Amino acid sequence: MRVPVSWLADYVSIEMPLEELTSRLSVSSAEIEGTERIGLPAAPENEALLRVGRVLEVSPHPNADRVRLTRVDVGEAEPRSIVCGARNFETGATVAVALPGAVLADGLRLERRAVRGELSDGMILAEDELGLGSDHGGIMLLQAAEPGTPLSELLTLSDEVLLVEATGNRADLQSIYGLAREIATLFELPLAPIAADVLPAAEPTRQLVISIDDLVGCPRYIGRLFEGVSVGPSPHWLRYRLHAAGVRPISNVVDVTNYVMLALGSPLHAFDFATLHGGRIVVRRAARGEKLTTLDGSARELLADDLVIADGEQAIALAGIMGGAETEIADRTAAVLLEAANFEPTTIFASSERHRLRTEASNRWEKGIDPHLARLAAGLATRLLLELAGGRWSAQGDVHGALPERPVVRFRPERADALLGLETAPERQYKILEALGFERREGDVLVPTWRAHDVRREIDVIEEVARFRLDDVPFTLPVRREMYGTLTRDQLLRRRVEDALVGLGFAEVYTPSLRPDEETSWRLPDPISVELTALRTSLLPSLVEAARRNLDAGARGIALFEIARVYLPGGELPEERPRLAAIAQGGFLHIKGAVESLHAYLKAEPSFERGRHPLLHPGKTAHTAAGVLGELHPTQLDGRWGVFELDLGDLFALVTEPVVYHDVISYPAVREDLALVVDETVAAGDLAALAREAAGEELREIKVFDVYRGDQVGPGRKSVAFALVFQSAERTLTEEEAQALREKVVAAAAKRFGATLRSA
Amino acid sequence: MTNWQQHEEQGMAAIESAASSEALEDVRVGLLGRKSELKLALREVRERETGALLNGIRTRLERRLAERERSLASAEIERRLREEVIDVTLPGEELLLGHLHPITQVRRTVEDAFLGLGYEVRDDREVETVEYNFDKLAFLPTHPARSPRDTFFFDEHRVLRTETSPSQIHALEQRSPPIYMVSIGRVYRRDAITATRYPIFHQFEGLAVDRGITLADLKGTLLHVMRALYGPERRVRFRTHFFPFTEPSIEPDVSCGICGGSGCRTCKFSGWIEMGGAGMVDPEVLSNVGLDPAEWGGFAFGCGLERTAQLRHDIPDIRALWEGDLRVLRQF
Repeated sequence: MRVPVSWLADYVSIEMPLEELTSRLSVSSAEIEGTERIGLPAAPENEALLRVGRVLEVSPHPNADRVRLTRVDVGEAEPRSIVCGARNFETGATVAVALPGAVLADGLRLERRAVRGELSDGMILAEDELGLGSDHGGIMLLQAAEPGTPLSELLTLSDEVLLVEATGNRADLQSIYGLAREIATLFELPLAPIAADVLPAAEPTRQLVISIDDLVGCPRYIGRLFEGVSVGPSPHWLRYRLHAAGVRPISNVVDVTNYVMLALGSPLHAFDFATLHGGRIVVRRAARGEKLTTLDGSARELLADDLVIADGEQAIALAGIMGGAETEIADRTAAVLLEAANFEPTTIFASSERHRLRTEASNRWEKGIDPHLARLAAGLATRLLLELAGGRWSAQGDVHGALPERPVVRFRPERADALLGLETAPERQYKILEALGFERREGDVLVPTWRAHDVRREIDVIEEVARFRLDDVPFTLPVRREMYGTLTRDQLLRRRVEDALVGLGFAEVYTPSLRPDEETSWRLPDPISVELTALRTSLLPSLVEAARRNLDAGARGIALFEIARVYLPGGELPEERPRLAAIAQGGFLHIKGAVESLHAYLKAEPSFERGRHPLLHPGKTAHTAAGVLGELHPTQLDGRWGVFELDLGDLFALVTEPVVYHDVISYPAVREDLALVVDETVAAGDLAALAREAAGEELREIKVFDVYRGDQVGPGRKSVAFALVFQSAERTLTEEEAQALREKVVAAAAKRFGATLRSA
Repeated sequence: MTNWQQHEEQGMAAIESAASSEALEDVRVGLLGRKSELKLALREVRERETGALLNGIRTRLERRLAERERSLASAEIERRLREEVIDVTLPGEELLLGHLHPITQVRRTVEDAFLGLGYEVRDDREVETVEYNFDKLAFLPTHPARSPRDTFFFDEHRVLRTETSPSQIHALEQRSPPIYMVSIGRVYRRDAITATRYPIFHQFEGLAVDRGITLADLKGTLLHVMRALYGPERRVRFRTHFFPFTEPSIEPDVSCGICGGSGCRTCKFSGWIEMGGAGMVDPEVLSNVGLDPAEWGGFAFGCGLERTAQLRHDIPDIRALWEGDLRVLRQF
């Protein structure tokens, strides 16, 4: 909300430096996101150079049709000659004049100059030249005042606007008066009362016909009828205040409703009474299929849950959100029905959601506004309407159910001390609460009705004290007697995985968990974009995209990994599994090397068997106990790319902890090479596994170092050469023993796979 | 008869004139090899006197050879060192080096800071029920986060969690206090992608539930964590705020690291930077999980990891953290 400081000053004295005001308010009350200076720039000379003027004479310009010559009394011995382009004034008008040397809102200094050969010794001002509005339709017409009077005595020439971001629970801070109350509490200053019941006319006895069908949705409806009203522009002070608060001035009647909403936080509405069928107000739920064209010109179909204001026949407003176009205040309006009602938050919220329509009013009602405030708002609006639009107040009505009482809440100052970890004298605590409108009563406090929504419990009252003590709260740590901190096994292993991949040259990426193309039941019915539609069931597509972007950017040595969840269709909620996926330039054996190294780093034994995967090369895909690896299908990305995706839970299940030491030092190892000729179809991995099975623990290492195909082994056959390391932890193996182990391997391979020893 | 004195002098001269280790070896073979004149004579010798003479010559030649060998070797090392001088400013061989994402780096810093305070680390499900994401956290029915305009709904009961706070409920339901935990994970909000917002991001959220917990304890805890993240000079202040599940609620600010608190563009001239949300656990939340608010109290707080990473590393655009661009990642 935009809060002009000059407006605040109606209610509380603002003498502290602006910076102190904003920084302390931010701590205790509502975030001040910034300040904005509006109006004229600071220029001391302006005080003497901006004056009230009276137009003595208006005559045509001899050389130009679009401007006129004027002579204006500015309180000097001689009137000044001023050339002016506006047409909305004649002789006798009281106007705002800038004399040469004055600095105007655009920051430029006014100079005496000739306009088409006629000297202009000053300027008659429009709103925008003073920075007090956006109107440049004509010059500002002032109420009669003595020529030469400093303009600053009539108008606010410059101001600071606080940009206030109040939190959702503080309906009372959606108003200038509410913020003034916070300032008064914070700086221990008096707060001026709202003189809303001081009315220029006696209350009429004629009753308006108002009926509320739904007292839950609308706890209160005050209607006031004003007849003989003249609709026209508002005076400058009001136009300025609305402009400064960010609301466009429209007409005196509409401006008054907006002004009171800003001042007090309780929204109002004005209807053209002549357009109401039966001259009556009915607050009810909409009939099925009922239609209403709102002020924004949109024709809306109403639902039975929408609360509406209706006349004798039809809906005339979407209650608390927006009025109807048919009953809008127009220039010819002579009878105004002022609505100062109260609406229940969830009703307004639901309608506002359904119609996708948020307004200044609906934003306030959603937060829960005090029904008592409606009367204050009606009073202030009545006074302003009679003052600004004339006419007479001719009828009224105030329909409501039981209005809320001030809640009684237990409050113990020592509880506040205990919760804050800071002592505050009870008297000081009560002083804060009283400044906020609370009343002390024995061991309880009475909560003001405008806080009844958010202060219901002792803890809420404690917060009221705490807000004004935050800077003094000391820095301590909880006293601990139990609990200690440690990472879980999975969390520790996750760090190991990250470190391993970084060590292997992979860069970590984070990619969105929502994807466009996923085949899953977990799709958002109303996504914000096609790209972010469905929860992914695999990390690989995201990584392929990331690799493609890097390739397009000209990156070299691309190797990426991600640890994130996949969302597998489960029961009521998806099964969320942590996965590790990676992509790297290079072929199958390169990525397999990474997978093997990762397993080795984790002390996990990998296993590989041929597999299939839609994104991968059908001949270069393997499954492991934890997932899949392989070469990317050539249609996916240019060049050769290896990828893998492993389920972290399955991977961690393979991890052997702690590592058990093997004696590899005391007794020497015997190294042997062995080349076995087998059919093409026999996998090297199966041969190695068989060798381990046949030779037992004393075969400490077995590695393929060569695969040969050719004349020497014949068609359909291949020779796989292994390097073997035999070693015992208990004794030195003799040549004969090593030979015997080797023979076992050869014999087993011959038996299982028909392997023959390749002759040297 | 050989003139042994002359033989020795010539031998010494030959040793001195040998210009390399190889030449010296030739000289050694000539003088002291198995077939050398001296060795042959020594094999033949019968007289003590001649033997002593020849042995003397052999010893002296051997000593001189050894000296010469050492000096030649050191000269050769010297020469090699001279020849092998390189331009040390040439680049080293490129070894493969990977990179931890800045979000992970922040995550580890947060984990470590809380482990140091005796907290456990957890993460819970991302697809949540409305019950856990809103109801049990005491969100009012009108809270804007309940709107499908702010939150991703799958249907009226299931959402992508909007904060890590449901972890508070899961933790409190799973075990009895005292609880000291921090949950870290992905959360989702219906925000359009801009330089400062991304609909998917990470939060860390701490929760302490124990007897006698105070707002001052929250302040001290956050000071520790902010200093772990941003450096020991940082200061922390609290501003009042509102969250459904804490009361009182506050927003912690950390003093700006760019200007040190005097005001600059980064901190919007306030000297302070918003860090997230925090507060004392609302008694209603404790009651919702069956704890007596008269006995137990607590505090909770949450911050965004992306925002933290952006502030730590001065990253102006949050999208840089989500695009997997190696030009970005290799800086970390």
